[in-house]
Amino acid sequence: MISVNNVRAGYGDGPDILQGINLNAAGGEIVTILGPNGCGKSTLLKCIAGFVRPRGGAVEMEGCDVSAVPVHDKIRHHLMGFVPQTDNVFSTLSVADNIMLGARYMPAAERNARYAELMAQYPSLASKQERKASALSGGERQILSLARALISKPRVLLLDEPSAGLSPMMMHEVFAAIAEIRDRTGMCIVTVEQNAFEALGVADRAYVLSLGKVAIEGRAADLLADPAMRHLYLGGKPPVVESRPPFAAVN
Amino acid sequence: MVQFVVDVLIRAVDLALIAIGLSSVYSLIRFPNVALVQYATTGALLALGLQMAGLPLVVAAIVACALVGIIAVVLNVVVFERLLRAGSAIAMIGSLALSMVFSAIFLVTAGPRPKRFELEINPPLRFLGARLTEHQLISVGISVLAIAVFALILFRTDLGRCMRATATNSVLASATGIDTRKVTNTVVFLSGVMAGLGGIGLSVKGEMSAQLGLDMLLPVFAAAIVGGLGNALGAAVGAVVIAAAETMVTNVNFGPLFGETVLFIPAAYATAASFLLLVVVLLIKPYGLFVAEVKRG
Repeated sequence: MISVNNVRAGYGDGPDILQGINLNAAGGEIVTILGPNGCGKSTLLKCIAGFVRPRGGAVEMEGCDVSAVPVHDKIRHHLMGFVPQTDNVFSTLSVADNIMLGARYMPAAERNARYAELMAQYPSLASKQERKASALSGGERQILSLARALISKPRVLLLDEPSAGLSPMMMHEVFAAIAEIRDRTGMCIVTVEQNAFEALGVADRAYVLSLGKVAIEGRAADLLADPAMRHLYLGGKPPVVESRPPFAAVN
Repeated sequence: MVQFVVDVLIRAVDLALIAIGLSSVYSLIRFPNVALVQYATTGALLALGLQMAGLPLVVAAIVACALVGIIAVVLNVVVFERLLRAGSAIAMIGSLALSMVFSAIFLVTAGPRPKRFELEINPPLRFLGARLTEHQLISVGISVLAIAVFALILFRTDLGRCMRATATNSVLASATGIDTRKVTNTVVFLSGVMAGLGGIGLSVKGEMSAQLGLDMLLPVFAAAIVGGLGNALGAAVGAVVIAAAETMVTNVNFGPLFGETVLFIPAAYATAASFLLLVVVLLIKPYGLFVAEVKRG
């Protein structure tokens, strides 16, 4: 579904932040990109999305080179949904308007049907459709941004630190919602995460970046179990998170 | 009093047209384009040239505004998009340099002497004791209509929603499928059209010179900043505030306040008054009067 081949990228005249990255993600799996601050994981996601154009190598989606395809074209062609790290909702717009803005180029009937589906999936949003996005909690905002990205039924979903700024409890709910999307839709999901333990808990595979290169890659479960990897890249013991039902079920 | 209101309106609408363009573009690309005031002169000179070539003034004005819009887009793509990669400060300095180039071109092509449109001279109209010419009335009417159309586009159309979304968060706007570059260039085109219309309006009501744009630079920036730089309709309100300050200086007889028959403030203080007002407003509201809408349009 996604194939990143020997990609080099950076900003302006600066040095290469990504130095020959290779990454693959298939439909029906969650791939998480981990690593310390400044390792290039957000740049890699922006490169996959199209916000940063590779200086070398190629990003392919469904077998086509999309390195030079603008972000909005990928969104409009249902190829990709993207959730930015921060400011990922329009605060002064209502919940409904936020979601519908992501579907303004779709036929009205399809748009309305899709909206109804999303409201059924996320009852917490359904009860707050007319409320301003600024009135939502951090977790609800993240779910809203997911719903906005999902309304176009993208084949690939890219999430830039979906747990940023969330409490451990909300973080767990958001990751449960992401896992539920994978299980229900078979979508290819790529996330960038700081909270490695939580991300590996729902991911199928992971890539750990270091200094712009892939340092470790493998099955998420294997990485979680690897003491050396935990010590080097994940910062020691995992935090204890109370087990809770998925977000949709909570509501 | 009615005459004061009429004079403020006459001055404010042209300021507002240019200031709205300045603020709208700023909201999207985050740099104040100094060259925008020269688009006003360009519009006036093109309209004059087309009128001299035999076109009726209305047709000449429409063609001139469209041409200015196209020039604005070309300059944005060729010059400002590249400069912005180095930062907004560099882009602003570039726009100042471009503005100087415009001035030189105007001086060479139009000469230093002021010019006027060929217009019929009619006796002034009277409205509740206030006087204004037919040309002033038509010009104000067209400008108010243009501002109303812009407001409708901004708040009632899909383009307007895209403009506001892009101004609020361009990354998120892209992530919702909005072609932010196209939206920006559309707004740049509209800002050029409005600046051109403002320049034509100013010239119809008075004289036109190569200095027209530079003379407008400070009041237009003051209007945009007072209204909250980045807030299009705030700029319109800012234009009214600045126009009121200028008109108060130039037109109001302060004699009765001081026991004199006639006491006018020297006209040279007009700009100073608007800037004094700007400083006072910024001291109270550092980001302008309508900052909330700027950030969350």
